[in-house]
Amino acid sequence: MVTISAEPATGEISRRRLRRHRPTSRGSRIAYVYILPFFVVFAAFSVYPWLDTAWVSLHDVRLSTYHQQTWIGLDNYKNLLTNHFFWHAFFNTLTIGIISAVPQLCVALWIAHLLNHRLRGRTFFRVAILLPYATSLAAATVIFLELFNPRTGIIDWALHLVHLPRVDWQGSKWPSQVAIASIVMWRWTGYNALIYLAGLQAVDRELYAAAAVDGAGKWAQFRHVTLPGLRPTIIFTIVVSTIGSAQLFGEPLLYHNGMPDGGTSGQYQTLGLLMYQQGWTNDRLGLASATAWTMFVIILLAVVVNLLIARRRERRAR
Amino acid sequence: MVKNHANQFVNWNKVPNASADKAEFYPWKWNMASTPDGSDTVGLGTDTGPESICYRTDLLKQAGLPTDSATLAKDWSTWDGFINYGKQYEASATKPSGSHFLDSAASIFSAAVYQGNEAYDNASGTPDVENSDGVKSAWKYTTDATSAKITAGLEQFSDPWNKAFSSGAFAAVACPTWMMGYIQGQAGDAGSGKWSVSPVMPGGGSNWGGSWLGVPTASKHQAAAIALVEWLSSKDNQVKMWTDGGHWPSNQEAAADPAVSGATSAYFSNAPVGQIYGQIAGQMKIPPIGFYDTQIQNAITTQLTNIETKGTSPDSAWKAALDAIKQVTG
Amino acid sequence: MSRTRRLHTTLDATRWTYALVGLITIVSIFPLYYTIVMASHTNAEMASSTPPLLPNGSFFSNVHKALQLAPLNKGLINSVVVAGCITLGTVGLCTLAGFAFAKLRFRGSNVLLAVCIGTMMVPTQMGVIPLYMLMAKWGLAGHLSSVILPTLVTAFGVFFMRQYISKAVPDELIEAAYMDGASTTKVFLSVVLPAVRPAMAVLGMLTFLQAWNDFFWPLIVLNSQNPTVQVAFQSLATGYAPQQSIIMAGTLYGTIPVLLVFALLGRQIVGGIMEGAVKG
Repeated sequence: MVTISAEPATGEISRRRLRRHRPTSRGSRIAYVYILPFFVVFAAFSVYPWLDTAWVSLHDVRLSTYHQQTWIGLDNYKNLLTNHFFWHAFFNTLTIGIISAVPQLCVALWIAHLLNHRLRGRTFFRVAILLPYATSLAAATVIFLELFNPRTGIIDWALHLVHLPRVDWQGSKWPSQVAIASIVMWRWTGYNALIYLAGLQAVDRELYAAAAVDGAGKWAQFRHVTLPGLRPTIIFTIVVSTIGSAQLFGEPLLYHNGMPDGGTSGQYQTLGLLMYQQGWTNDRLGLASATAWTMFVIILLAVVVNLLIARRRERRAR
Repeated sequence: MVKNHANQFVNWNKVPNASADKAEFYPWKWNMASTPDGSDTVGLGTDTGPESICYRTDLLKQAGLPTDSATLAKDWSTWDGFINYGKQYEASATKPSGSHFLDSAASIFSAAVYQGNEAYDNASGTPDVENSDGVKSAWKYTTDATSAKITAGLEQFSDPWNKAFSSGAFAAVACPTWMMGYIQGQAGDAGSGKWSVSPVMPGGGSNWGGSWLGVPTASKHQAAAIALVEWLSSKDNQVKMWTDGGHWPSNQEAAADPAVSGATSAYFSNAPVGQIYGQIAGQMKIPPIGFYDTQIQNAITTQLTNIETKGTSPDSAWKAALDAIKQVTG
Repeated sequence: MSRTRRLHTTLDATRWTYALVGLITIVSIFPLYYTIVMASHTNAEMASSTPPLLPNGSFFSNVHKALQLAPLNKGLINSVVVAGCITLGTVGLCTLAGFAFAKLRFRGSNVLLAVCIGTMMVPTQMGVIPLYMLMAKWGLAGHLSSVILPTLVTAFGVFFMRQYISKAVPDELIEAAYMDGASTTKVFLSVVLPAVRPAMAVLGMLTFLQAWNDFFWPLIVLNSQNPTVQVAFQSLATGYAPQQSIIMAGTLYGTIPVLLVFALLGRQIVGGIMEGAVKG
């Protein structure tokens, strides 16, 4: 690996050379070839379905009579915005998303840092943290339901031991959301930790040494060497987690036995579940399509906000 | 469904054996697979689901209650009598601790709702839940049961409900014929001989489930497919469906066969299940089936769980159910 | 003082580190372990009031029943093919695209990158119906290609490689290669690829798992004649009288190949992540 601190003299020479040979203009045409596969696949398999979905969202369409479509303009969207099920699902998605994503990313970062040490058997540990993601979601949810069962679960038994009241992890709103968030955390933390670990490898070890020479302790090294080096990776995981949280579907679905109602009072129904329930269970495809596009707008806004905050932090750090 | 897609299925009124086929089945089973005017029939019946009550003889005995079939035939012939019996179970000092009489209020509701003239749809085929006599009486019986607290409040087909078959958390459950097989699968060999089947169904007869076999018109081998379906639905195979799989035939001739009508079940304490279910099948009322029946019933039974486990009042539960139903019907 | 500080930078593990990592491992593995417990008992045994904590002997009989109920073997083979193809395609094509977005300058690159990331934000379930009709029209419905092609290049992969490459491959290295007269392709092959092997390994593993676990789209476009293993699981779980132990046994059986890949290649893949950077 090349050391980053190039000496001024050679730097000037290479910069002069660069001005004569512009690799950017050489690279530009072939770049389009490199990105072409993605856009071809996208155009072939995504554009038509999305446009069709948008079209369907402007009609009253039932899944059972798909070809009978009555134009109703923006009525589906109006229905959504005045529908308490929609807002309910929106806030559930927000709360479950925050509870599951924020601690998860912090813990993932910490785990990646731990696994970055010289451990004996480190390969085993690194493979182990990815096992939750490989475990079937159905199996994992069954087990968590067992753990959180108010009558026979270990967690309420432990609460009982320390004289705390039993909690209804399935019926009540906040406990059920915490339980689902814990399934999400269990499942995805290792995944994110591995991504951070890959990113950590890109951080030059000599920077740590240099920082230590300057008198920086472990925490200062983390703040001034690790975090800046990981910045693009952290932004990546934040964006991906935001998108994933907003679309949360599998975990809350299986938490209620495969039913998309989000519990008997909809206490953990997310937007993803609502959309599935509207389209597949309640047969109202037009409404579900409108929900899908509304979700897209919400996710877009959330990601943009995230990126703006990240950019502002970066500017302040400079 | 029939109305929407009739032209995508072979019409059984027009196949070579049409009249012979039609004569084999219960008329109501044939009609359920037909368009309202009867001109188009999309499937031949496979099984039906006449319902009784399956109960744990050992638990009821432990609570000191009578379990002989004569007493049950009397006590359990009406929902009021059934609920009263349940109250006695709850009040018993000797019943197993933590055990309740019925698994869920949904057992009562889903059976009773089909015992009236209308269920979820009115006669013209549109969903009309609030004016249905079946819904009204079913709701009344169900709320009687929940206020008497005779249910275990479990969600049907959930994991805790599955486990309760062996743990004894409930002593009785609504039992269509296919539920017998379900119970054996969940409770295993340890449950053999502890269960039995009630000789009567409270409120008369009721049906839960049942299917049809049809042939899509897009099929490349229509004649062979038609012949196959006719063979599968024939008397002999429907008898086999019962003896091997525990599914009650929709073929009338099969139901009359001694192998079916005389059947007993060792698992269920040698109860004369063939005779019991045959009698109930004969008493079943078949109100019109609606397109959204499943979703509507689900919306209501979900709220029942709220009444049972969260102390929600029946009135607010009913409002919430109507709200959810509106999301379906639009 | 500074000498002891320098020692700490080499990230030696302390007893605390081992304890924490051990705890994390237990939490990660426990549900998988419990799946084994559930799969090796009969349904009635699992339902008893004190559930067992150690495996028993019924695993093979449960698997046998599961195999009778669902086409698990066919599903396994199909899943290996599907996940393998998607992984190879994704890793290769996403690295190319990621490199282009990270290091090459071309007109519209920012807009195209934004579009690429934007495609991740559309809820996936919604497009399945028109996509299914598209597949049916092209005659691909029911074939494995209908599952492989739509996810051959993912925005996730492109974004991931782009972020990694932007930091892990120094601009100076690339410029030096250009000055040596290399074409962009040669730069990619000889400079970028070696440097991003760890990320490719991680992306490969994550993509393989994602493709293996995907159940929604395969459930819609495939049928029981040609299922992936997740579709086969569905037919286990939605029978007339589902039995938890059999479902767990079938699920475990279908996860074994993944675990094998972990066991055999985990060392290579994950180890590669470490070794790539230790050389100063």
